[in-house]
Amino acid sequence: MNWYRWAGIATTALLCGCSATTTIDELRPTLTPTEIAPGERIVILGRRDAGHYETDRDFVDCVGNKLKGLGIGILPEQEFIDAIYPWFEPRTAPKSLGRLTRLLEDPFVKEKVDTKDLHYLVWLDGRTETEGSGGSMSCAISPAGGGCFGFAQWDKVSVYEAIVWDLTDLTEKGRIRVDSSGTSYLIGVVAPIPLLSPVKNDACKGLGKQLRSYFATEDD
Amino acid sequence: MRFGITQTSSALALTIFLSGCGSTAQVKVAAQFPSVLAEPRDIKTALVINDEFRTYVAKPTAKTSIELGNAQSDLLGKAFLGLFSQVETIASKDQVSPGTELVITPSVREVQMSTPSDSYLNVYEVWIKYNLDIETFDGDMIDSWFMPAYGKTPDSFMLSRSKAINEATVVAIRDAGAKLLLDFYRIPSVNGWFKQRQQPEVTP
Repeated sequence: MNWYRWAGIATTALLCGCSATTTIDELRPTLTPTEIAPGERIVILGRRDAGHYETDRDFVDCVGNKLKGLGIGILPEQEFIDAIYPWFEPRTAPKSLGRLTRLLEDPFVKEKVDTKDLHYLVWLDGRTETEGSGGSMSCAISPAGGGCFGFAQWDKVSVYEAIVWDLTDLTEKGRIRVDSSGTSYLIGVVAPIPLLSPVKNDACKGLGKQLRSYFATEDD
Repeated sequence: MRFGITQTSSALALTIFLSGCGSTAQVKVAAQFPSVLAEPRDIKTALVINDEFRTYVAKPTAKTSIELGNAQSDLLGKAFLGLFSQVETIASKDQVSPGTELVITPSVREVQMSTPSDSYLNVYEVWIKYNLDIETFDGDMIDSWFMPAYGKTPDSFMLSRSKAINEATVVAIRDAGAKLLLDFYRIPSVNGWFKQRQQPEVTP
């Protein structure tokens, strides 16, 4: 076997190590299919009321993009938050269906939600964290040149939960939880070579795919 | 001692690199705030936005200044329209027009800031402590209400210091609007004044 075959096998094995493991749990209180009429829209919002983290907008946008092409209108998060200001700010956003019900008793708020043709609200809550790291890398620079030598690795974990609220009958339609984890590497052989595990992207794909199945109509 | 071009260039590059670590930031808060969604009560109010408030520049640290006067004036102007049916924005108390029932003068007590290097958290945080002097048309003080507001960035990844402080300040100003709408009529003295106002006057 030629040396380049060995190199190919080694590279493949290394890249396989950068993949992420994703687990999806889904809970639906009823088996009733999710209904959405033509022209109705959904809004996907990130939870931002926790003190030490907040669901980042990139992830919310990523999940929203995964739902494109279903023929369902998706109201941009900031447009909804601005339209209904200040009732979905971190301080005021309803954390339960009871609070949402009370909020929608306000005719001003109800009218605004109705004018936006919203049928479902999807809360996303979670974050991506670096849990453990190991190895060491040192970089040096001098007038003659520079480089990095060493090896570093770190584990990333993404945990996100999506909760689907129906704004017409004010019920919870389901919960989807996605856990994704993987290890990334940085190899320093003169130039640092990153081999990154797409943990967050995989969580987004998994959650997006599951939400698509929620909202997919028979035509899809 | 003589230095070659390479050494001089390296030293220059290092100096520029290290000077980039200096933490000076001058931030002018620029944001468009939305109108509030609330049913205002039928009260005519004067909102006193004086020059000090309109041009307020916070200096939370020696090397950081935040121009938030225009942004906070804009937000409070809109927020009070969600509380009262008529809001007249004036520059001083002398300009209060007849028929006004409440005169509200906001001021900034203090602005504090926390950066990742201060807190070891991956976020920038801003606290704005407002004070609202709430008086009747006759000058009787109803309350001097302390109203804290808080804002933070989602994280500090790839954010410049100025951009991060701006983002956290905008969130804090929005939070001030939310706090105002949520709590203004819950202030015991304001609630008491409002109930008294609703009672029909008894003539002997």
